[in-house]
Parts: sequence; structure tokens; C-alpha cells
Amino acid sequence: MKGGSSLLVLLMAMLLLAGGAVFIGPVSDPSWTIIQEIRLPRVLLAIIVGIGLAGAGAVLQGILRNPLADPFILGTSSAAAAGVILAGVLGFQHYSALYFMSLAFALLSIFAVYRIAQFNGKTPVQTLILAGVIVNLFFNAAVFLCFSVFFRESYTVLFYLLGTLTEGDWGLIGISGTIILLGLGFTWLFSRELNILTQGEATAFHLGVNVGRAKKLLFVASSAMVAAAVAVAGLIGFVGLIVPHMMRMIVGPDHRVLIPASALGGAIFLILADSLARILVPPLEIPVGALTALIGSPYFVYLLRKRHQSGKF
Amino acid sequence: MPSLLLKKVGFDYGDTFKLEDINLSIPEGSFLALIGPNGSGKTTLLQLMSGLLEPKSGQIALDGRPLDQLSRSQLARQMAVISSEQHFEFPFPVAEVVTMGRFPYLGRFEQLTRSDREIVDEALKWTKTLHLRDRPISQLSSGERQRVLIARAVAQKPSILMLDEPNVHLDLNHQIAIFRLLRRLNQESSVTVVVVLHDLTAAAVFCRTVALLCEGKLARTGPPQEVITTEILREVYRADIEVHPSPIGGTPQVSYSADS
Repeated sequence: MKGGSSLLVLLMAMLLLAGGAVFIGPVSDPSWTIIQEIRLPRVLLAIIVGIGLAGAGAVLQGILRNPLADPFILGTSSAAAAGVILAGVLGFQHYSALYFMSLAFALLSIFAVYRIAQFNGKTPVQTLILAGVIVNLFFNAAVFLCFSVFFRESYTVLFYLLGTLTEGDWGLIGISGTIILLGLGFTWLFSRELNILTQGEATAFHLGVNVGRAKKLLFVASSAMVAAAVAVAGLIGFVGLIVPHMMRMIVGPDHRVLIPASALGGAIFLILADSLARILVPPLEIPVGALTALIGSPYFVYLLRKRHQSGKF
Repeated sequence: MPSLLLKKVGFDYGDTFKLEDINLSIPEGSFLALIGPNGSGKTTLLQLMSGLLEPKSGQIALDGRPLDQLSRSQLARQMAVISSEQHFEFPFPVAEVVTMGRFPYLGRFEQLTRSDREIVDEALKWTKTLHLRDRPISQLSSGERQRVLIARAVAQKPSILMLDEPNVHLDLNHQIAIFRLLRRLNQESSVTVVVVLHDLTAAAVFCRTVALLCEGKLARTGPPQEVITTEILREVYRADIEVHPSPIGGTPQVSYSADS
């Protein structure tokens, strides 16, 4: 519990840093301009997107009682991206429309996955992943349909879809950051419920948890975090899978510690991954989403095999 | 005053199964077994009594208050339930699992108090799981796990404890240990115990009342000697069995032979 609160303080410090960064004073050195205009937003973006994806991953794994859940694998990310692209196609310029579409599609997909995967009150891991694959394919198809019709020439949109941290609009960064940190704080307040939900829903009911309400609120909050991350950075996969899993090995399964730890880990992970993506093939930059998927897929296979061997399938 | 009172309770899942006209009064301090053949509605009845399912007709009241008028945490402070659904994918340490029993007493912004911790320690000691407190629950044997779940229920400080086949998958020695724990809880802390059982011998040895379900109806309720009899069991289970008094204690015991 003490670890949890100290990590939360650290997160608040990060929030202050994010808020304060905008006000860093004007200096007329060109390298300072690069840092301020390009690098700084990029690092901040890596931090908030990392927090959003890893935090949401930790929460989803808890609600679904499944350490293999991840917003990318479950199709939430591609649904949010479909919302963003559709907002573009429909010519919505305003931020609120962008976030509304992103969130609406994320919510739609997560409830679809949940409904498809649930049989007799259970969500077995195989059907959950299959449902995610299907929903993912559907929204991916929608996204690439829009892309091929409306944005055929646009590298910006293509890079967005592959997941990239080049968004330089402070307004977008600010809104996404706010949504993600609020979502993180909100879900953290439900840590005890999440801990108990991992013991099974009937057990949670008998321990006094309002299961239906807690699950709905947590689904909505984690979808909002994913939608906010996708709105600024596109499809960056597997952060929500790898980071919470590693953090669980380090700090244990208690969500009071795991959620802040995942947030912190997500921020660090994405800063590192983005640095790698920038320097790996100079002078080109590869989309960071492609890199996380390259690392994440084998990791997923490893987790799947490990569970299989321990007879938990 | 009855702790739990069921009046004309009916329930169905919308298919052929039906639970009909269940009237049952469970006085405070009872030790009741729900027995009956597969599909007779034991688990469904337990889920109704614990509030997990809502009856389609009739009423269930806990200490005079209908279950559906109690908040989630009010109910959990009165009633602890160990269901047959159990998940151990997440390696919570035993002490943490038992501490979950204090959840209904904690506000969202409240921390555990010293007395909460003492209650948890007491529950661990009482179920002889104190030495396991830092072990992940995922690594324990089924007998140890069952004791930890009972510790969690004890930490809830309930007036009534319900269990769905707590002895299933357990060796005989662990089964006996679990039932003895339940009996001590019943006798020393006067917790009402309601338990779904397949094992009629255990029901006869440990329970003071048995309720026999047959095809969704309550066929008999009474002391084991009156319900677990050759005549009644042959009719309800449609099995070729004999009931004899046990050589130790004289409780009814079921036997059968290979030939029909």
C-alpha cells in the first residue's frame, strides 16, 4: 500500500511536469527550438500514451481475469482508430468530435468483444482472444477501406495507423493527457474491486462488490484511456500486454500498486521504444507501433505457451 | 427468530428446470445440508438464498428483511459464501486473499484499521493457515486453498456461511478437517452454516438438519436420521441402496452392493 501511494505521488509529479512543460521559457537557440517543438512533445506523448495503454491493459486484465488481455489484441485500439479516421472522413475538425468518435468506437468494440466471448457468465481465454481477433479484423478492414478511398496518398495517415508519436499539437496532447490521467486515477480508486474481481464474479458479489456497476465503470474508464491514446498516437500495440505483465512479476498482482507501476512502466517502455524507432534505421524513422508489435507478438506467444504448459488453459 | 426464511420461493431458467414452492426456515445457529440428486436444484437454491439469483416468485428474508432490500455490503457483512467457482490465475498472497473478507466493511477511501488486521490474523490462525500467509494462493494444494477461503469467510464476520460442496476434490483427511472447522465455527461462534453436499455420510455426521431436494421441490426436511433412510433415498435417488447406523456414533450411513 505504501508503494502504491508513493508511486501515485510520482505520477502526480509527472502530471506537473507535463503541465509545466508548456510554460518552459522562450530561448532563441535553434537546438532549444527543436527540443521544445519536436522532442519535448514527443517525450510527453510517449509518457501519456504509455500510461494510457499500460494502465488500461492492467485494468482490462483484471476485469477479464485474464493476463493475456490487451487493448490492441481485444480490438479496442483499432476500433478507436476507426472512429478517428471516420471523423476525418466526415470532415469533423473539432477536437471534441475526434475524441467522441474515438471513445464511442472503443466502447462499442469492447462491449461487442465481451458479449461475443461470454458464455454462461464466463469469458474463457480462447473465445476472448478469438472475439478480439474478429472485432480487430472488422475495424481494421473499416480503417483500411477508409484509407484506400480517402487517404490513399497520405503518409501521415499511414504512419498514424502504424502508430507514431509525431503529433505536435499541444491541444491534443493536453486533452489526451488529461483524459488518461483522470482515467488512471479513477480506475486506481477501484483497485480493491479489481483485486476481488480476479477471484471470480460470484465471489466478488458475495464479498460485497457491486459487480455489474464496477465492471461497467472500469470498462468505460479503460476504453476512454485507450481512445485518448489512440487519438494522438494511432495503433501502438502490445504495450498494454507486456508492461502490466512484467510489472505483475515485479510488484505482484495488487492493483493498488500494479496500476501506478504499469503507468510508470508504460511511460518508460514507450520512451525507450520510440528512441529505438528513431535511431534504428538512420536517417529514417520507423513507426513505433511497428516496433512494439515486433517485440510484443513473440512475447504474447511466450505467455500463451507458458499458460498452456502450466495447464491453465 | 429464523435467520433465513424462504416463503413459497420459485425459480426457473426459462428451460425445463424449475424450482417450485420452496418453504424453508433456517433458525440462527443451524447446521443445514442441502442434499439431492444431480439436477434437483441444490446449487440453484443456494444461489437464491445467497442473493446471487433473484427468485421469480416468493420471498427470501434475512433476519426479517427481504434480501433485495439489502445493499451489497450489508449482505456481505451478514453472509459469507464460498461458491464452487474459484479462480487462482492471479498469484495473490494468502494474507491478501483473506483481507478481501474485510471489503464490505471498508469505504472507498478507508484504509484497513488495526482491528481489521487483527481479524484477518485471527482468521488465519483459526483455520491454521497463518504459516501460509505470504505464499501465493495459486501455489497451494486444494486442501490448503479451501482452508484459506474459509479464513476469508471468517474474516467477513458473517452470521451465516454458505458453501457449495466444500469437500469436492479433497482427500478424506482434508474433507474431515474442513467439516470440523465448519462445526467449530457453528458451535463456538454460533454461525449458521448451510452447505450443499453430495456426500450423504458427511451430511449425516456433521449436519443437524438436512433438506432433501427432488426435481426442484423440497421433498423432506429434518434431522439426518429422519431424512437419510432406506425408503426415502430409494425413492428420491432411484438407487438400490441400504441405510444402516454407523458403528461409531450411529449416524445413518449408505451402503450398496455390486449385484442388483
